[in-house]
Amino acid sequence: MIALRAITKTFHDGSQEVQVLRGVDLEAAPGELVAIVGQSGSGKSTLLYVAGALDGDFGGEAIVAGRSLRAMSERDRAELRNRRIGFVFQSFNLLPGLSALENVMLPGVLRRGGEPFEGLRERARAALARVGMGDKATARPARLSGGERQRVAIARALAAGPALLLADEPTGNLDATTGEGIIRLFRELAAGGLTVLVVTHEERVSRAAERVLHLQDGRLS
Amino acid sequence: MTARAGGVLWIARANLRSDLRSTLVNAAAATVGAAALAFFVALGLGVGDAARRMFPADARLVDVVPAGVSLGGVLGGGELDDAAVARLRALPGVEAAWPRLTLRVPIAAGQAPEGLRYNWPPGLTVQVPVLGVDPGLLAGAAEGGFSFEDPGDDAGPIPVMLSRRLIEVYNKTIAPSWNVRKLPMGLSLVGLQLPVQVGYSIVPQKTEDRIFESRLRLVGLSDRVPLYMLAMPLGTVRRLNREYGKVDAGYTQVTLLARRPEDAPIVAAAVRRMGFALDEGERATAERVGTVVAVTTLALALLATLMVALAALAIAQSLSANVRARAREIAILRAVGATPADVRGIILVEGGVVGLAGGLLGAAGARLAALGADRLAARLLPDFPFRPETFFSFPAWVPALAVAVALGAAILGALAPAALAARVDPARTLA
Repeated sequence: MIALRAITKTFHDGSQEVQVLRGVDLEAAPGELVAIVGQSGSGKSTLLYVAGALDGDFGGEAIVAGRSLRAMSERDRAELRNRRIGFVFQSFNLLPGLSALENVMLPGVLRRGGEPFEGLRERARAALARVGMGDKATARPARLSGGERQRVAIARALAAGPALLLADEPTGNLDATTGEGIIRLFRELAAGGLTVLVVTHEERVSRAAERVLHLQDGRLS
Repeated sequence: MTARAGGVLWIARANLRSDLRSTLVNAAAATVGAAALAFFVALGLGVGDAARRMFPADARLVDVVPAGVSLGGVLGGGELDDAAVARLRALPGVEAAWPRLTLRVPIAAGQAPEGLRYNWPPGLTVQVPVLGVDPGLLAGAAEGGFSFEDPGDDAGPIPVMLSRRLIEVYNKTIAPSWNVRKLPMGLSLVGLQLPVQVGYSIVPQKTEDRIFESRLRLVGLSDRVPLYMLAMPLGTVRRLNREYGKVDAGYTQVTLLARRPEDAPIVAAAVRRMGFALDEGERATAERVGTVVAVTTLALALLATLMVALAALAIAQSLSANVRARAREIAILRAVGATPADVRGIILVEGGVVGLAGGLLGAAGARLAALGADRLAARLLPDFPFRPETFFSFPAWVPALAVAVALGAAILGALAPAALAARVDPARTLA
């Protein structure tokens, strides 16, 4: 599902160059839950954004869903993100002006040649129900708890039917019980055939993963 | 991938809804600009219409009069006799030439027109100034089956025509000051007969030896009749002048009809070269008034355009601030599949919706403000001649212009914020 080979990433800060990734290799198969752990600033999120086709400025080879990211245009990367990749962030990143249902509909709304709005609404409702948020469809994010927001974010990531789920510290802002629920959900999703790549510094998350990789000095081990 | 148009609209609408305060402030700015534009343009058009009713200058007409100082036949000027009329008619660009001749026999009216309920002031005798005109000048103006031709000796009433504007001036100024009944507007006056005494003058020394009773029949109304004169067929005036031994020293004036409005200045120049002068009184007034109205309208429209430009700047500033504040939301949109073009489109649509709403509200607001201004004018301004029912003219293109300008300005204002939004780096912003 995902194959990263010799990935490098350098940030430019004025005249200074900071190399964050120094040749990362990673492969994850469908149905696999992989955790990437490392200290703050180790480049975990950067690696996730490269893998998620959000950052096209990197060295090496990245293949997601059978397609090489390096050869893709901005439009193609956007289409890949829309159709094949779901993101879950630490701070949920829901649009505050939209209801839970509308947030979940967002990827479908942006999809060219997508299904009619009524169909999108139904699929969004199903995705919300799948994460146990069916009764909060009309609520705005501000009215939801942290755990509920994260479930809505997961529903949004799942609504488009992705092959790859990328999660960046998904339990970082949640209490232990709620975080456990999210981890359980990820395991279920992986069991259903979804490739789940979780970046975390929390042991409870990494414990749930089938494979744990450590990012240190820009390399995975 | 580029998002479907419906998706971009959906997201733009949601954004506008979620930041309702900014949306309303921006729309208000666009509304004020659009309203000002529509209001001032409509005011200019309305006042222009009123001015044209007041000074109905025909762009194709050139009025020729004898020169004040003339070298006569040496340069071809001098009297406006039949030979001169023939030469004028032959000028390039001239379609017709119609001579006019002043009636030199006094005519006075001492009673009200027959068939009109009118409280004629007792003992009032009015001197009637008459100008003989070539019937061709007033062709088509005769109504009610009457003709504007010389009836011949003792063959019944003499046909005459009045300026439409005279009725308005009479009703708004003379009738109130004399405390007499106003005349009905329009063609219902046609057919009325005014008993007159031909040869009688209110100045005793000017009364002729022979006075006879006659009647003048109003056969039509025309803006080509001089404001304070009564037009009579040229043949009748010639006949009366001859009967009373008044030798015609040429025509008083010759009206030339240019083939096209743009030929009129060329014809005027040729007339001057022939040694004749031009009577530009009414035309010059009409042109002056027209110019003043046009320049004022243009200045006000420019002011309104400036207001629209300021609205565009306000929208640009507000949207830019909004984009900076919403950078994370934009990054999220990118993460779920929006391209930079989609993001640009969303911001442009937001600007466009604000501009469109502002334009529509502004156009409607201008209409309401115009109604209010008209009501205020009706209450505060005196009933002067040619006072229009409305000082505004709203042809369909005026609100369309206001909407288009507001929409264009808002989209223009949204260009820079849209470019800014499209440059948001999702990876850096979400990190």
